[in-house]
Amino acid sequence: MTDYGHDLLFGAFITPVAQPAMQPVEHAIAAEEAGLDLVSFQDHPYQATYHDTWTLLSYIASRTERIRLSGNVLNLPLRDPAVLARSLATLDNLSGGRIELGIGAGGFWDAIAGMGGRRLSAGQSVEALEEAIELIRTVWGTQSRNSAGFAGNYYRVDGVRRGPAPAHDIGIWIGSYGPRMLRLTGRHGDGWLPSLPYLKGGPSDLTEMNRYIDDGARKAGREPSDIRRMLNIGGQIASNSGGFLNGPPEQWIDDLAGLNRDYGISGFILMADDPGLIELYAGEIAPAVRERVAAERGVSSP
Amino acid sequence: MITTTSIAPDRASVRASQADDLGYDLALLQHDSVHADSADIWTLGSWIAGQTDQLQLAVTVADIPRRLPSVLARSVISLDLLSGGRMNLILGENNLSVDAVGSVIEIVRGMMDLSERKALSTGGYFPLRGVKRGPIPAHDVPIWINGAGPEILQLAGQKADSWLAPYQNMRLEDLRIANQFIDQAATDAGRDPREIRRSIVVSGMISDASDTFLQGTTRQWVDDLLPFVLQGGVGTVLLDTSDVDTIDAFAREVVPALQEAIERERPVDSSATRIRRADVRAKRYAGIEYDAVPASLRDSATEPGDVTYPAVRSTYIRAGSPGIVLQARTTAEVVDALAFARRHPDLPLSVRSAGHGISGRSTNQGGIVIDLSQMNEIQVIDEASRVVRLGPGARWMDVAAALQPYGWGLSSGDYGGVGVGGLATAGGIGWLSRKHGLTIDHLKAVDMVLADGSTVRASAEENQDLFWAVRGAGANFGIVVSFEFEAYEVGNIGFGQFVIDAGDTAGFLEKWGATIEASPRDLTSFLIMGPPRRNQPMAAQVLTVVASDDPDTIVDRLQPVANVGPLYNQQVMIMPYAALMANTQGSYHDPGGEPAARSGLIEYITPEFARAAEHLIKSGTVYFFQIRSVGGAVSDVPPDATAYANRSANFSVTAFGPDPERVNQAWDELAVHFNGLYLSFETDQRPERLEDAFPGETLHRLQELKAKWDPENVFRDNFNLTPNVTSG
Repeated sequence: MTDYGHDLLFGAFITPVAQPAMQPVEHAIAAEEAGLDLVSFQDHPYQATYHDTWTLLSYIASRTERIRLSGNVLNLPLRDPAVLARSLATLDNLSGGRIELGIGAGGFWDAIAGMGGRRLSAGQSVEALEEAIELIRTVWGTQSRNSAGFAGNYYRVDGVRRGPAPAHDIGIWIGSYGPRMLRLTGRHGDGWLPSLPYLKGGPSDLTEMNRYIDDGARKAGREPSDIRRMLNIGGQIASNSGGFLNGPPEQWIDDLAGLNRDYGISGFILMADDPGLIELYAGEIAPAVRERVAAERGVSSP
Repeated sequence: MITTTSIAPDRASVRASQADDLGYDLALLQHDSVHADSADIWTLGSWIAGQTDQLQLAVTVADIPRRLPSVLARSVISLDLLSGGRMNLILGENNLSVDAVGSVIEIVRGMMDLSERKALSTGGYFPLRGVKRGPIPAHDVPIWINGAGPEILQLAGQKADSWLAPYQNMRLEDLRIANQFIDQAATDAGRDPREIRRSIVVSGMISDASDTFLQGTTRQWVDDLLPFVLQGGVGTVLLDTSDVDTIDAFAREVVPALQEAIERERPVDSSATRIRRADVRAKRYAGIEYDAVPASLRDSATEPGDVTYPAVRSTYIRAGSPGIVLQARTTAEVVDALAFARRHPDLPLSVRSAGHGISGRSTNQGGIVIDLSQMNEIQVIDEASRVVRLGPGARWMDVAAALQPYGWGLSSGDYGGVGVGGLATAGGIGWLSRKHGLTIDHLKAVDMVLADGSTVRASAEENQDLFWAVRGAGANFGIVVSFEFEAYEVGNIGFGQFVIDAGDTAGFLEKWGATIEASPRDLTSFLIMGPPRRNQPMAAQVLTVVASDDPDTIVDRLQPVANVGPLYNQQVMIMPYAALMANTQGSYHDPGGEPAARSGLIEYITPEFARAAEHLIKSGTVYFFQIRSVGGAVSDVPPDATAYANRSANFSVTAFGPDPERVNQAWDELAVHFNGLYLSFETDQRPERLEDAFPGETLHRLQELKAKWDPENVFRDNFNLTPNVTSG
C-alpha cells in the first residue's frame, strides 16, 4: 500500500506525426472533448516524420481551451533551458496556466550529436538536467528583480533576464528510470513521468523506483508526497483478459486502481492514437477509477 | 502586391487576429528589446497560427545558436504545416556572423529538401551529421534576411527570398543603395533580382493634417509610398504602429488607394508574379513552358524543384516524375489547365483525383498532371431523392462519412483513400457490389470539361452517348468536374475478418468461390493472398461484408465462409459502413518503383483456374493476389447499358508483382480463364487490353464516340481508345 494522496489525472500520449499534419491536433481536441485532463507528446527532434513538439504543443494550446499540455518528455540536450523557460512561461501565460514541463535527460546520443547537440555521458546528462532545472527556475523567478548570472558546468548565461513569470506554478515532471535520475527527481521534481513499456519487470519495478525518489526527496528535506507519480501506459480493450491492461474496461479499472493502491500512481497517461479508445478511456474508465480510488482511500484513511 | 502588418509586443495575439480580420496579408513578429518581459517569439508565432486563418506569419528568430538550427528547421516546417502554408522565417545578424546566417539558411532549406534522398550533413558553423530530412512543408517557406550592412545585403542577394529593411521609414535613397547591393549579388549568383522581394517598415499617423512623411491624409500616404513601390521595387509594406485607428485606416483606405495607384502607374506587363528561385528553376524540364502557366494556377503549380514536389510526384504504387503538377480548384481552372496541357501536345497528360489509381495513369514521367484533389465537394442536393453531388477529388472515406448521418451510402472500392473521379469513371467494385452493383450503376449525371475546353452535362436525358461512355471509359472523354449520384440506404454492416488455411490453395480458392456464389446478395467477400513465407502455413485473408446489422443474419451469412477451411484467426464486428471505409489517414504517396498490376474478370473459380492461380501465387512472381466477388446486382445491368460491359463475371482477380515482364508472362498464361478485365487494376499498356476491357461491340462504339467527343485525341494516356496510337 503506497499512496501519495494526489488527485487523479488522466491524460493521453499522442504521437506527433507530421503526416497527416493535423492528425495530432485533431486527436488532442478529441481528448479535450472526451474530458481528459492532459495531452502530452514525445520529443525526438531527430525523428524526421514528427512535428517539432514545442511548436505543436503551442499550436494545440491555441486551439484548445481547457486541457493541460506537456512534453512527455522534452529533450533537454536539443533544447536550451533558457529558451525553454521563456517558451514555457510565454505559453503558460497565453493558455491561462495550462502548461507543464515534462523533461528528460536525453538518450539517443548519436542522433543528438548528429543534430548538432552536445554528446554527454549518462552521468553528465543527469548533472546537466539538474543544472537546467535550476536555471529554468531562476528565469521563472521574477519575484527577485535583479538579473541573475548563471554559471554552471553545462549551461552558462551572463545576466539572465528573469521572466516572463509563468501564469501558474509550472510542474517540472521528470522522465527517469535509473537510481541517479530517480534521486534527482526526488530532489527537484514536481512529478515523475516514466513509461510502463520501459519497465523490464512490469509494474512491480515501481516499488524500488519509488523508494529512490522518496529517498532523494527526504535527503533534500522534502516530502515524498511532493512528487506526483505518473505513468505512461499502453493497452488494449478486448473482450477477454490477455494480461495487464489487456481486457475489458472492468479489468482496466481494476488494473489502474491497483497501480494507485500499490504504487501510488496518480497520473495515468494513455498512449493512444485512436479517438475511439480515448473516448472510452475518458468516458468510462477514468470516472470508474476515480470512484474506486476514492472509495479505497475513504476506507484506508479514516 | 502590398503586404502589411502591425505588431506590438503585448496583446500581440489579439492584434494579429484583428489584422487577420481586416484583411492584412502578413504579420511580422519580432522581439521588442525595449520590453523586459521577453516572451518567446516562436511560441507566440505558433499560438497566433492557431488564432488566425489567412494571415501569413513572418517570425524573426534571433536566438541562434541557443536555438539549434536543426531544431529550428523542423520547427519552421511544423509551423508551416500546422498553419497551412502561412509561415515565413526571418533571420538577421543578431549575434551571428553573416556566414553563420548563410549556414542556417542552408540547414533550413536542406531539411525541407526531400528530393535529396541522402541524409543532411553540413560543415561550417553548425555541423550536422546524417540528419534525416523532412517533413515536407506545406510550401517553400520564404526565408527573409533582415539587415543593412554590405555583407548581409550580399547574402540576401545570394540566398534570400525576401529582404527586410532593418529600420523604420528608410529613405528611398538608402533603399536604392541597398537594392543595388542585393541586385548585384543576385546577378553574380546567377539569380534574377526579382526573386528577392523587398520589404520596408513604415510608421506614421493618418490624419487631416498634412505636412511631413507619412503624417497626413490617405492621399499623402499614397503619394509618399508610391515611389517606394515604383522606384524602390518594394513588394511588402509593413506598418509598425500600436495605434488601432491607424491600423484600421491603413487597411481600409491606404491599401486600396495604393493598390489602385500602382495599377494605374505600373507598366501593364509587369504583373507581380512569384518568381521561383534560380535553383528551383534549374530543375525545370525542357519542353514545358513554365512561364506560360495560366495566372489562376500559378500559385498552386508544383515544379520538380519545388519543396512540395516529392509530395505530389507519385501515386499510390507508381513513382512518377512529371514536369509540372497543376492543381485545379474550380471548373474554370480545369479549363485553364487543359489549355496549358494542349500547348504541349507531345507530353504525357495525366488527370489525378486522389492518386490511388493502381493502373498508375495519374502520374507520368516528364509530362503534365492535372490534380483535382482540391475539388472535393460532397453535397446533398436533394434529400428526398437522395441525390448527392461529389467532386472528383473527394475521397470515398469522406463520402461515406458525409452520407452516414443520412443513413445512406455508396459502394466504392475497399480503400477509403481512393478518389471519386478515377473510380467513378471506370466502375467501382466495392464492399456492397453484390447487393448494390457497381459505383457507376448509381451515377445519374456528370458535368465534364471536354478536350476543346467546353463544358457539357451528360445524363440519361442529355448527351446520352457520352453518359454511356463515361461509365467505364470516362478517362478517354474528358475531365469530369462533378458527379451526381443517387445514394441508397446503408446502415451498420457486419464485417468478418478471417484468416483461413490455404495450404491446398487450389482447393481453398474453389471452395471459397462456390460458397460466395451460393450466398445471398447481401454478402460480398474479398480474399487476399501473398507468396509462401518460410515456416508459415499458406493462409488467405478473407474479408467479408454482410449488408445487415442483424447479428443472426450476419452469423448466418458468415458461417459458410468460415467453414471454407481451418480458421487461424477470426473477428466479426458490426460497424457503420463509414467506419469500414475510414481505413487510411491520407499521407502523400512515396512508392519505391513501378510494379505491374494485372486484372482479370472470371465467371466461376473453376478447378483449372484455381490450379493455375495456385501455381502463380506459389511461384513468388506476385506479392499480392486478390479476388473480389462481383456478380449479383452488377450482373443485373445489361452489358450494353454502360461502357463497363463485362457484367457476367462473378469475380474480379488482381495481382501485383515487381517485375512487369515476369508478371505479364505469368498472367498471359492465365488469360484463357478470363472473360475481360477491369481497367482500374491494369497496368499493361498493350493494345489488346482494350479488347479485354471493352468486349465486342463496346470497343467499336467507344471508338466512334471517341472520334466524336475527343477528335484530336487529347485524352490518350489512360488506355487510349483511338486505334493505332500507342499511349505514352
